[in-house]
Amino acid sequence: MEFLHLAWKNLWRNRRRTLITLAAISLSVMLTQASHNLSFGVYAQMIDSGVRAGSGHLTVYRGDYARSRKEELSFDPGTLVEAIAAIDGVARVLPRVYLPALAQSSRESRGVLVTGVDPQAEAGINPFLKKIIAGEMIGSSDGRDALLGSRLLKELKISIGSKFVVTLQGPEGDLLSELLRVRGAVETGIKDLDGSLVMIGRQRAAAMAGIPGRVHELAVILQGRAEEERVRPLLDALLPPGGEVRVLSWEEAMPNLANAIKLDYASQRVIFIIIMLIVTIGVVNTLLMSVMERIREFGVILALGATPGRLRRMVLAEALVLGLVAMTLGTILGAALTWYLVEHGIDLRSLISESLEFGGVVFDPVMRAAWDLGYMLRIALYVLALSLLASLYPARKAARIAPAEAMRHV
Amino acid sequence: MPLIALDNVTKIYPLGHQQVTAVDRLTLAIDAGEFSVLAGPSGSGKTTILNLVGGLDRPSRGSVVIDGRDVGEGSARALADFRLRRVGFIFQSYNLIPVLNAAENAEFTLMLQGVPRTVRRERIEELFSDLGISGLENRKPGDLSGGQQQRVAIARAMAAEPTVILADEPTANLDTQTSEELLQLMRRLNREQKTTFVFSSHDPMVIAYARRVIRLRDGRLESDSRQDLQPAGEAP
Repeated sequence: MEFLHLAWKNLWRNRRRTLITLAAISLSVMLTQASHNLSFGVYAQMIDSGVRAGSGHLTVYRGDYARSRKEELSFDPGTLVEAIAAIDGVARVLPRVYLPALAQSSRESRGVLVTGVDPQAEAGINPFLKKIIAGEMIGSSDGRDALLGSRLLKELKISIGSKFVVTLQGPEGDLLSELLRVRGAVETGIKDLDGSLVMIGRQRAAAMAGIPGRVHELAVILQGRAEEERVRPLLDALLPPGGEVRVLSWEEAMPNLANAIKLDYASQRVIFIIIMLIVTIGVVNTLLMSVMERIREFGVILALGATPGRLRRMVLAEALVLGLVAMTLGTILGAALTWYLVEHGIDLRSLISESLEFGGVVFDPVMRAAWDLGYMLRIALYVLALSLLASLYPARKAARIAPAEAMRHV
Repeated sequence: MPLIALDNVTKIYPLGHQQVTAVDRLTLAIDAGEFSVLAGPSGSGKTTILNLVGGLDRPSRGSVVIDGRDVGEGSARALADFRLRRVGFIFQSYNLIPVLNAAENAEFTLMLQGVPRTVRRERIEELFSDLGISGLENRKPGDLSGGQQQRVAIARAMAAEPTVILADEPTANLDTQTSEELLQLMRRLNREQKTTFVFSSHDPMVIAYARRVIRLRDGRLESDSRQDLQPAGEAP
């Protein structure tokens, strides 16, 4: 304890140098923690949005539907929807049908993706439904109403209430057509989706494709991402043996988003390593300068009876104190900045006129951070460990001082 | 058996491509309770001998035995322990630790020994009172005069009750009056507490205070004489 007290006093011998080093380390900690928390928050929101609009936290597919998107890979869910919904931690199960088709109005035609959904199940979950810019959501699962992407609506040159025809290939290869009516238009912000989305009732979609009662996907929305690990084996156990119908995680079902996040985290790690290198150089510089300035004093301390090991520990104690102060200060600053970014976020709307996509998911222009306390603690401990590591060389140098020679040092 | 015994000691330092003989085949014995001065001009080997006796350096040849222990042998750790428990140092430029206050400086060796804080403080209070620097405990070295700093340094050297106190030109940076006061003080401590003092100096006034004068020249013993102490000016 007394050595820590002495270390504290020694640290403030050169107030300006210590303050500059402390500021550099603390700001590095703050920036690392806050920027990670910002990414963490933005990704959490994107994953949430992605899983709700896309394939869920966990998804039930047949075969390799996730990759191949072959229409024939539909399956009869039987009582699966109810059974999965009964698992603790599952918020909603969304059965969906996906059909590539051709949409034709009296003036234009476009390739589309007919998405069959259960409107009641999707309500309150699917974030696209909050982005209806005209008309309203379809009401029933077997009606002829359709919700169209805003760009598609424009390209087909039709409006709310207009009729249009959807043509697709049936299971036998024959062409099947259905007359639908525009009930509403949605602007998701994802260019491709807004130009191809035709959302209709699931029963109608399955019937028109000649696969009544069958689905291509069961998107399982959990109460939180943390439930994934626990729920997945329970869900697996409900599936018929043989493995033809299987469960995928959101990372497996939406590899674009998962990989984009992984790539971004990897680039963040590189920046983190660079920042930590700067921290290390700062600590080495401060402690080495401090040791070199005190050669004579170290000689005196050795003459008074301190062992070289004790001198080494004195320098390590200074690094420990420096690291402790820097990690505490940095974490306080990091927490303050994170708090601001959680409460207020960064509003990019004035900078970005169009909505942005990231990994196939719309990027919210108001970026908000989320608390990742484990990461913050890890960074703080890294800085402490790095400070101690950086002090090894100066400490070694101090311990190698020959007392008689050191006392001749001016 | 003498407290300090140097037997045919030679110390050679490398200086660039050359070698300098700082102490040359010196044989010397100092008994416990002596008040001796190593006198001689600069370069005569005074500081080197103090460093050898204090275990700060090892002889190139010969042996240095303090209280039955050969300081040329043993590990750096063992030598550090020897300095911590047996030797007290007083330096020409005081060498107090600037970030510590006077009391913390004085109790530094006790702290290294692991003596509890309350015990240390009691000892320091007693010493400060004895050395006439009571009330200066919380002052930093920078706020003390040269004489006060050297008294704190004496307190630091005395605190652990060492076998011998080695003082390298302890009054070189002080004015005459302060130097005399300090010499009287050291002589009183020698007389009352039976602490052995060996100090180096080339100042005739300082030399006049010693009971035994060991004169050195070019690292060799020139003369070794005993003298009567100056009766005047004894410390109160």
